[in-house]
Amino acid sequence: MDLLTGLFTTAFLAGGVLALAALGEVLAERVGVVNLGVEGLMALGALTAIATVAAIPSPTIGFLAALGVGALFGALFAFATVILRANQVLCGLALTLMGSGIASTIGRAYSGMPARATFAPIEVPLLSKIPVIGPAFFSQNILLYLIFIILPVGLSYIMFRTRHGLNLRAVGENPAAADAAGIPVNLIRFAYVTAGSALAAGAGAYLTLTFVPSWSDGVVAGRGWIAVALVIFAGYRPIPAVLSGLLFGFITALGFVGQARGWPIAPAFLSMLPYLGTMAFIIVPVLAWQRMRRIMAAPAAIGVPYYRDLR
Amino acid sequence: MAGSFRVQRLPSASPGIALAARAAAIVLALVFAGLILAMTGANPIELASEVVDASFGSSFGMEDLGVLVIPLIMTGLSVAVAQQIGAWNIGAEGQFYAGAFAAAAVGLFVPGPPALILVLMFFAGLIGGAVWILVPTLARAYANVNELITTLLLNFVAILLVYFVSTNAWRDKMANSATPRLSAEIPEFWGSIHWGLPIAIIVALLVAGLLAFSRWGYEVRLVGSNPSAAKYAGMPVRRHLITVMLLSGAIAGLAGMLEIAGTVHRLQGGISNNYGYLGIMVAVLARSSAVGVIFSAALMAFILNSGIILQTQGLTTSTVLAITGLILFLTAIGDELAHYRIARDKA
Repeated sequence: MDLLTGLFTTAFLAGGVLALAALGEVLAERVGVVNLGVEGLMALGALTAIATVAAIPSPTIGFLAALGVGALFGALFAFATVILRANQVLCGLALTLMGSGIASTIGRAYSGMPARATFAPIEVPLLSKIPVIGPAFFSQNILLYLIFIILPVGLSYIMFRTRHGLNLRAVGENPAAADAAGIPVNLIRFAYVTAGSALAAGAGAYLTLTFVPSWSDGVVAGRGWIAVALVIFAGYRPIPAVLSGLLFGFITALGFVGQARGWPIAPAFLSMLPYLGTMAFIIVPVLAWQRMRRIMAAPAAIGVPYYRDLR
Repeated sequence: MAGSFRVQRLPSASPGIALAARAAAIVLALVFAGLILAMTGANPIELASEVVDASFGSSFGMEDLGVLVIPLIMTGLSVAVAQQIGAWNIGAEGQFYAGAFAAAAVGLFVPGPPALILVLMFFAGLIGGAVWILVPTLARAYANVNELITTLLLNFVAILLVYFVSTNAWRDKMANSATPRLSAEIPEFWGSIHWGLPIAIIVALLVAGLLAFSRWGYEVRLVGSNPSAAKYAGMPVRRHLITVMLLSGAIAGLAGMLEIAGTVHRLQGGISNNYGYLGIMVAVLARSSAVGVIFSAALMAFILNSGIILQTQGLTTSTVLAITGLILFLTAIGDELAHYRIARDKA
């Protein structure tokens, strides 16, 4: 495989993890809930997938199990933040600590064990024969098409082209007005936070079922936090979220290629690239284009619990 | 209908009820953890008595607690200070590593009498931590970029940096994964407890005093509770934000310095033991009070030490992290529920 093909293939794999987690966070933040538990949910999903395929060697079942565990913990988080209205930042940090802690504790039994089943690439006839980009775009596993095409386009359509999408955005912008208009604020928040958490755990599963195919302690390595940052960078929109995930996959891939080719930079510094890149990408745009702030603005009611009885 | 009850939310919870809610959250979390341990076949009552015995039954146990509490006071203080002005420093972990890195550079490469080297290391730790939070601070102050994420991302960079130097350029030829022993160390005064403990307590009291009694502290607290009112009153909001965040980073950096100069005596990967993240917990439990941090750090040290004692039972620092997360989760819920009271309707 030549350099560019390898670069693109890794970029899609690494980017897919970030893109899926970022999509989940877009869902939660659009309805007004900041979920800082993404890192913990990804750890739980990553472990669930490895543990499931160790018992039942089917990547699909492993992925679905991770979605289930993510939804379970997401529902717990949503119950605390949406129904009981506890502090979202604290609950999110707590979810990250719990998820990472539980996953490392249980994960010790699976440490270093390769995944017993992974998502295999599917070749699209003809298209995969295109030089350079063919193998990268058209010889990937099936989840990649879900992450980069079906989910972002579908979610974008629902969010910006349907009545339901208008409702869900209203819940994130002005819950009191939405409530007055008869939209079930708490139900919508609960549902989307739970669904978003399932996607975050799915991103973890995707990590251990395709990208690294094994479990090790700290395997998530801050990707959950990068995903949260990407949502800001993407202006809370599904399609830009996926594209920025791909961009960061590309940065990660550059680091890998550098290591493989023996570039005269220490691997540790190449591994810093995604974190430093994320920093730059959320700081530079606001400095460079003041106007972007309004276009990229967060939903107005983000992080604010809604108290109907105080209306 | 006379005598019907309804639930009423108050704008602020009474301190007594809030404290009780926190205590209940901790007890409930430990009971949950005990139940889970019981399901795995262990006997939680037996384990608990073993923990209490090992922690308080011998001077060794007390020494371990005394050593663990030092970094926890400092990282907790770091998070609590930033909270005073309404900022979330989730990067104490990275600043801890950066402070340890800077202090180790002095301890390894600067010649001189140990007493002088210790003083230089002290300031290197402060500066290392402050430098590490500089970019998030300026980004928050001038572009309103969420410091929660930027401080956190730098944790991974600092961990990679320390891992790199301790396995490469600075490594001990014999150990390979750590630097040689540092030229200066903080003396011990009771068993393995070193003078870092009184230093940590003094720093906490000093910060508490500054916040409570100085004009700077008054303005910082006002900015933290109502930035627009503070701005309207002519206070330098941005300048206070910058000084407080740099102070927060410097304190976490000092935690790293105290740890390598007093406890570990060399720089290596994984020195922090998640102290930065546990510091968030310490600060939250202390309700961001600098004096309260000393007590919640003691509690956290006990929980962390229990995890170390119970390692034979399959508990590790990651289990402690999970239990800490559960405490934090229940605390957040308890804090909110403390706002409610049941009122009787006047019919």
